[in-house]
Amino acid sequence: MATSTTVSFPLPSSRRRLRWRGERIQRLLARDRTLGYLFLFPAILVIVGLVAYPFASAIVMTFQAKTAGTPGRFIGLDNYRELLQSEQFLRTVVNTVVYTAVGVGVKFLLGLSMALVLNQERFCNNLFRSFLLIPWAIPTVMSALNWRWMFDDASGLINNILVRLNLIDETISWLSNPHLAMFSVIVVVVWQGTPFFTMSFLAGLQAIPKELYEAAEIDGASVLQQFSHITLPRLRPIFITAVMLSAILTSAGIQFVLILTNGGPADRTMIFPVLAYNLALGGAQRLGMGAAVSLIFFPILVVFIVFLTRRMLREKGE
Amino acid sequence: MALRMTAQRRAFQALGNGILVLMLLWTAIPFYWMIATSLKHDKEIYGYEATLIPEKPTLDNYATVFRETPYLTFLRNSVVVAAGSTAVSLVIACLGAYAIARLNFPGRALLARGLVFTYLVPTSLLFIPMFAMMSVLRLTDSLHGLIIAYLGFDVPFCTWLLMGYFKSVPVELEEAARVDGCNRVTALVRIVLPMSLPAIVVVTFFSFTHAWNEFLYAHVFTSTTSARTVTTGLVNFMSQDVFFWGPLMASTVMSALPPVLMFLVFQRWVVKGLTLGGVKG
Repeated sequence: MATSTTVSFPLPSSRRRLRWRGERIQRLLARDRTLGYLFLFPAILVIVGLVAYPFASAIVMTFQAKTAGTPGRFIGLDNYRELLQSEQFLRTVVNTVVYTAVGVGVKFLLGLSMALVLNQERFCNNLFRSFLLIPWAIPTVMSALNWRWMFDDASGLINNILVRLNLIDETISWLSNPHLAMFSVIVVVVWQGTPFFTMSFLAGLQAIPKELYEAAEIDGASVLQQFSHITLPRLRPIFITAVMLSAILTSAGIQFVLILTNGGPADRTMIFPVLAYNLALGGAQRLGMGAAVSLIFFPILVVFIVFLTRRMLREKGE
Repeated sequence: MALRMTAQRRAFQALGNGILVLMLLWTAIPFYWMIATSLKHDKEIYGYEATLIPEKPTLDNYATVFRETPYLTFLRNSVVVAAGSTAVSLVIACLGAYAIARLNFPGRALLARGLVFTYLVPTSLLFIPMFAMMSVLRLTDSLHGLIIAYLGFDVPFCTWLLMGYFKSVPVELEEAARVDGCNRVTALVRIVLPMSLPAIVVVTFFSFTHAWNEFLYAHVFTSTTSARTVTTGLVNFMSQDVFFWGPLMASTVMSALPPVLMFLVFQRWVVKGLTLGGVKG
């Protein structure tokens, strides 16, 4: 990076008449430091104004009783105390863990099998691949709306088919039965999120050199041996990244639960972003309580975030 | 030996084909139901005469959406917000990524780290203080407010993606240009940007679809029809009793179409850009 300050370039004659001040600005702009901060200034403004400041004010808010548009009243740790004592919050913690772990786990397994299948050679494979990735491209809100309709008690597709096949006598309340609601929501999460894993894993599979498999074949390794000794170890870095990214986005994703069940029935599908939303914006508008819910989950998320930050920067040669 | 290998391979190929068929069905059935519902009369949607395949396909539901709902307003808002936030974040991200990739100054590594970190902080941790902030700034119920809010996600992501590409543009090209009288800005515009065109395409795709698909901020920051985008608008339809599934599925199909078409067109680049650090897990 020694180039920036040492290169001097001949100016055309018209510009030689530039006034002294203009030349000074030019010289200043030729310096990396000035230009670097100048170029990054808008980005810094965005980070500070739209992430750092809101985050800091969220922390302050958790110690306040506050509604929108009014200044908060300081109440110390009352919000946290109330949350930790409430059964709803404890249920939310358990639900969030189950929802995320099961959702990510199933997406992972389905995504891996889809990627392996699509990595085989076959007629029209590219077409199948494009098609299988479409659920990822559909806006999540649209998928959630569509699934809510598919799960509909009276006329939804799923009950419709089950009745036609004489498998059930009475229609099933997929989203309002306390024992089924979580399962139903996770089905939707998996439908929407599997393609992300497929895409990541498929890219990883295609990056493995073919020679490795050829050599293994000559040595007499079976297909399964090749899978466990070549494929799995090679995909490991992608596994870790995909799982962490998906864990962050699944646990913090609000659309599916909000649209399908709004946390019900009886909090059976309540996960932390939905609880935060309902506390802060539903009815009582307790912004401090809502912010406290999110912040309690932040320490877990931040472990993933820091780890991923390092990986994503290494990938870009930082 | 070789024979056993081929038999094994064939078995796995057959298994693969079986799984593929199941996966295609699993993926296709929800689409089918969405489109089929949007083409049915109410009589075929509800009750005992409900059908699996539309017997008398009709576009009535689509007509209803345009005639009786503010869907066109939502559509226009989504386009404005998506285009606006994409344009602004592209400019900010190009400058920022260039600085991180090419210039040497104290704090550079820290800023790069801060950007990626910011991108990974989910909006569900921020929407409450953001709502309070937007209320104070009187930016709720406004498209400007949404455009600004979306920069918080788009700028870090675009900067991160672009800086990798910018680094891969040979420095020598830029040096040559600067000997010929280019300054940093013209070198960025004339040399680095044209050579990073694939990355610009990916970044445009991501920020446009992100803004188009975004729900939480849009839902929290808007409460009037005139400022709603498609996502929050449709969810709001659902909570009104008067609105039924036929027209709702028609508007869902129409709202899902633009990002899906964009994805199919740009797929090759998108998959590449997504291998690490994609959106929506």
